[in-house]
Amino acid sequence: MTPKVTITLEEPLAGAAAEEFGRRIYFATGDILDFRFVTRDDLVTAVDLTLAPTGHPETVTRKVKAILDNDVLAQLIRPPKVIWSSPTAVEISDGTFARLRERGEVFPAGEGQVSLGPAMLHLMDALDDVVRGIVIDELGGIEYRYPTLISARTMHRCGYLTSFPQYLMFAARLHSDLDVYQRFVDDTRAAGQLVPNVLDRCSDVDYCLPPTMCYHTFAQYADRELPPGLRTVTAKGKSFRHEQKYHRGLERLWDFTIRETVFFGSREQVLTRRRWFLDRILRLLEQLQLSGRCEVANDPFFGNTDVAVSSSSQRLLELKYEIRLEVGGGRDIAVGSFNFHERAFGTAFAITLPDGETPFTACTGFGLERLAYAVACQYGVEPDAWPDHVRAVLGPNG
Amino acid sequence: MLDIIRDFVRRHVGGHPVGDDEDLFATGYVNSLFAIQIVMFVERDLDIAVKGDDLDIGNFRSISAIHQFVQMRAPASA
Repeated sequence: MTPKVTITLEEPLAGAAAEEFGRRIYFATGDILDFRFVTRDDLVTAVDLTLAPTGHPETVTRKVKAILDNDVLAQLIRPPKVIWSSPTAVEISDGTFARLRERGEVFPAGEGQVSLGPAMLHLMDALDDVVRGIVIDELGGIEYRYPTLISARTMHRCGYLTSFPQYLMFAARLHSDLDVYQRFVDDTRAAGQLVPNVLDRCSDVDYCLPPTMCYHTFAQYADRELPPGLRTVTAKGKSFRHEQKYHRGLERLWDFTIRETVFFGSREQVLTRRRWFLDRILRLLEQLQLSGRCEVANDPFFGNTDVAVSSSSQRLLELKYEIRLEVGGGRDIAVGSFNFHERAFGTAFAITLPDGETPFTACTGFGLERLAYAVACQYGVEPDAWPDHVRAVLGPNG
Repeated sequence: MLDIIRDFVRRHVGGHPVGDDEDLFATGYVNSLFAIQIVMFVERDLDIAVKGDDLDIGNFRSISAIHQFVQMRAPASA
């Protein structure tokens, strides 16, 4: 039996606030199997929840209401401020993921995990080559490749552990002890599968899977003076966020690839470079005639007392711009973000500029699977079938 | 009114002198979270609702900007 519960909202929620609420509901508890908004006159008046048999309606209701009160209602929410809209509108039919699956270009490999075939790989690499070229050739960036594992100390130092606990993915390993190994092998053989509660046999977590690349960059320059002239660092790497039930095709993955670029400098220098790069990318989108928009956004801070203030100030001060591209079915996805951090990371990682000041920082990140998927939705994956303006940039001779 | 706003800002910038037209967020004395404290101050202490498009940093970037916004939105009798 699957228990159901309806939570009636004291005040109806309008569009942007309802979206903010919807993005968080599954993180309230794994006991929520499904949810549906009840609307009246475009306002959300209640939420219907379907629970797992283990879900207690009162406990689930308490958690969902806590998220509503703390993370949503306390925010100053208004409809997103749009700073750019594509001049072209591309006709997009829904169902691209299913079509790619049929032709063997994508293969769902697990929750939020998708394997990619040759045409999608080419598209991802071609898009990354263009972005990487702008960063290195036009912004003078230098490139690094980081290990996948990131230390828990770095994850703590950048504030991620306390800002985004819902996304954390840990890299655990068995406690280094012969008796532990032998008992583990014996118990696994006997169980015929991985034994339950395996974490009880593991050492403390000292490594995580990185949610993005810029924390590697800050750790690289931590506790020292930046090399003279160093202003822009770029890296591509696998990134991981536990998106609970929100994973969907290539639109929202637990396991994905980011091309990230970090800017260091004075406030003016960093803001100028962020704006220059944003304008450069918007021109690229216009050249590719991709349909979408760029708007002011906020990060999904979660579950602590600062959520509302952090999210609201991010939007008010336009600390984060997000590029969203259309993927059909009336949906769009964020493919890139341009973030200004003030001195938060310069201070947290004790980085200094040659003049002794703490640097301001900004970063830009592109989700390469999402970017490739949006192009696939709007123009397909066959270079021969692309219009000239797409083939000129992303084609084999682009 | 201007003095009330100046006093509020000065209490949050660690005693540094701040000109009425100075961009508070470019001074380096405050971080972005102060933007929300300003909005809360305008709503709670000055009793002026900040709604919809009024929630724009242009209205809160300097002492003068806050003052101008408050004058514009204050009830005529105030």
